[in-house]
Amino acid sequence: MKLKKHYFEDIQLFPNKASIFWSLVAILFLAFLPGLVKTYYLSIVNLMALNILVALGLNLLVGNTGQISLGHAGFVAIGAYAAALMLKAGLPFIIVLLGAGTVAAMVGAILGIPSFRLEGPYLAIATLSFGMAVTIIIGRIDILGGRMGMSVPRIDLSWTGLKYDIALYYVFALITVIMIIFTRNILKSRIGRAFQAIRDSDVAASVVGILLAKYKTFSFAISAFYAGMAGCLWALYLQFVNPGSFNFMMSILFLATIVLGGLGSVTGSVMGAIVMTWLSLQLEKIVEIPFFGEVFVTFTGYFMNPSGIANITWVATGLILIAVIIFEPMGLNGLWLRTKRYWKLWPF
Amino acid sequence: MSLPVLHIEHLSKSFGGVRALNDLHFTVREKEIFSIIGPNGAGKSTIFNCINGLYSPENGKIILQGQDITGKSPNVIAGKGIARTFQNLELFKYMSTIDNLLLGRHMLMKSSIFHILALSVKRSAAAREEIKHRRKVEEIIDFLELQPYRDYPVFALSYGKQKLVELGRALAMEPKILLLDEPAAGLNNEERQDMIFWIQDIRDQMDISIVIIEHNMQMVKDISDRVLALNFGKKITEGSPQEVLANQEVIRAYLGDDLKDE
Amino acid sequence: MIAQILINAVVAGSIYALMALAMVIIYKASEIPNFAQGEMAMISTYITFVMLQVYGFSFYPALLVTILFAFILGFLFEFAVIRRAKDPNLLGYIIITLGFQMVLFGLAGWKWGSDQRTFSLPFSSSSVIFRTDQYAITEHNMASIIIAILVMAGLYILLKYTRLGLAMKAIQQNKNAARFNGIPADRIMGFSFGISAIVGAVAGILVAPVSTLDPTMMWDPLLKGFAAAVLGGMKSLPGAIIGGLLLGLIENLFGYYISLEFKAVVAFAIIILVLFVKPSGLLGKHYTKKV
Repeated sequence: MKLKKHYFEDIQLFPNKASIFWSLVAILFLAFLPGLVKTYYLSIVNLMALNILVALGLNLLVGNTGQISLGHAGFVAIGAYAAALMLKAGLPFIIVLLGAGTVAAMVGAILGIPSFRLEGPYLAIATLSFGMAVTIIIGRIDILGGRMGMSVPRIDLSWTGLKYDIALYYVFALITVIMIIFTRNILKSRIGRAFQAIRDSDVAASVVGILLAKYKTFSFAISAFYAGMAGCLWALYLQFVNPGSFNFMMSILFLATIVLGGLGSVTGSVMGAIVMTWLSLQLEKIVEIPFFGEVFVTFTGYFMNPSGIANITWVATGLILIAVIIFEPMGLNGLWLRTKRYWKLWPF
Repeated sequence: MSLPVLHIEHLSKSFGGVRALNDLHFTVREKEIFSIIGPNGAGKSTIFNCINGLYSPENGKIILQGQDITGKSPNVIAGKGIARTFQNLELFKYMSTIDNLLLGRHMLMKSSIFHILALSVKRSAAAREEIKHRRKVEEIIDFLELQPYRDYPVFALSYGKQKLVELGRALAMEPKILLLDEPAAGLNNEERQDMIFWIQDIRDQMDISIVIIEHNMQMVKDISDRVLALNFGKKITEGSPQEVLANQEVIRAYLGDDLKDE
Repeated sequence: MIAQILINAVVAGSIYALMALAMVIIYKASEIPNFAQGEMAMISTYITFVMLQVYGFSFYPALLVTILFAFILGFLFEFAVIRRAKDPNLLGYIIITLGFQMVLFGLAGWKWGSDQRTFSLPFSSSSVIFRTDQYAITEHNMASIIIAILVMAGLYILLKYTRLGLAMKAIQQNKNAARFNGIPADRIMGFSFGISAIVGAVAGILVAPVSTLDPTMMWDPLLKGFAAAVLGGMKSLPGAIIGGLLLGLIENLFGYYISLEFKAVVAFAIIILVLFVKPSGLLGKHYTKKV
């Protein structure tokens, strides 16, 4: 067994040489990706990036603090609309990004204040209704384009000298990597520990001096900040925002993402978001898969409605949620940890 | 005689008409081990719950070093220097031993969210603070001989080790007063001997007053400086262990059955 | 005008009360907030639709088939999904019900497409049976109220006077003690889910003619049902009924006097307000954990 030599070893970013190596590989991969693949694939990676952002924030709230949110699409919507307005006003990107996060965080804190007294089912219901209310309210406000939504201008990335798509990809990738590191830092700190303490025992948490109300509200605010940032990226990604896209199902998909990835783990958030994004894109073109696709279409032709074939995404995601809770409550991260342990001991 | 640290007067608390505590008063002095005994349901844990703010008493005052802390919330009272353990363990189950202990230092650490974002930089303020407190926590881990379990989630530890982690977490808070709710319950003989040794060491080395709720009379006799006997939320008597354990009323209320068993 | 508002309030309130009842039946038995409730009702409503439109059943046989279907759906959900999870926490249960909700939502869209269909029942929402210059009562209004009362009465009799009801009450109070006394707790739990699904299905059939029949039709009633249940304290059946009626009243008064636009937000405001002021609801009791 390797002995630790310094207290910093427990909190540093790279605990060993292997992690430095793999992080470098990942960074290099991200840096050279635009040269390797078509722009279409870059846009998929962008989608993954913004899902990672939401997942990181939601996992802090759900996985680490043990609170429940069924209305995270509401925060994404708030961030997206705030960003859209600020971009139209011509504010610089960095201010738009942080501003979108801050606006969402403020709403999150306001929602968090009545919610800190709530437990389990009540909090789930309150956040569910929050998410629904946000889209209804946005849909009724004319300066936000009502139900039709509004278009979002591009940001100026010409100074990079790159094509817009590629420059935007680098922006997304950079933000995501930074936020992954920040999340990890939060979890290793007194604040992250306080969140997890509340999850494990609120009585003991208050006895060691944690003010439950403050940290529960704080957790909501931070989580909403991530979602708000993701909303800003969403507005840039689609160059269009409309209230209908931030519906109840979007909130549940975010929850599905972190459940699949693994509650309470940064790796889990990242894996969950990547797999979930990839999976829903695959499911959208399920018909094109050889053999299985044909069987599927024939089946649909006989028993189902061909116009509703896209709904297979919901069925599959729902089944995944149920299966994860029944078979592997730790999600992909749990699976990954077990595989790692197995290979460490192999072949003994 | 040493100075009083914790002073309790006229403390009363009832639950739905049942008097759990009835006009109780006692004083805990500096560097003293003070035991509270009494049969089940006598209101012992209720005293702790009132002192550290989980319950607010209907009547009476709780004074810590001249400061009235009655009815303050648990996190405020924790900040004033009262730490405790629980009868049925209240640990952060899915966190590692070291994280549980580090949580004891939550109040002593000050980094804000903005500092923390730079935690992975070795020279950052947050990292320096974190390292400083980790050093302190490692001392407690060494003291309680918890090194082998340092990185394990506590739900995976044995009951005895979990009790130690909870004690360690309370110690990490650098309290003035330590409230231990049945520290030896559920431990085997050897573990109990160790626990007695550690409690005495804590008092001697760390200048902490200790209040213990305990059922094991041998242990009460061995470590207490003074004992308070309680029945139906009322004080029966208070004094040195020998006096209290010899008191007829105490024996009738509590020890009678116990002595016959042993 | 106030008479018309009251009528609308009672009609909407009866439907919310049914959704809330469905919720409370399960929550009392298992402490699971069933987020699949709405979609279970939606699927059941589609079954009625198929029976009526495709197989040409008349209404009452179709209703019977639907009730049977809803019961089996609820029972199977408990038996095949909920019971398979190994001792999950509350979050786990919520996620399972959400997962089931997604499966049902997807299946409905896959089978029937997402186009909105009109759904006609023997009681139409356009034919008026009683009218003055102040108000009008449609067949659908009348039928909604009567059916809701029938369901409530049926539930009351079931829970109060049958062995099944007694067993349900027993497992609500202490599952293990009930089990030791020879009550097949698992099966009773399945029955609770089945009965709850029937109540939800009735609500779905009453909702469909006024909104439209499509896979998202129960999202709003689900939220309203939750709001009503929260208002009534989550664990009280009379509370659910009072909560439903109260919500219908507040919502319609708000819609008429303040803003029709934001009527749909009222449920949200009520949930937040009730939870903030009295988290245990109007008729609920609050318990604190002992340490």
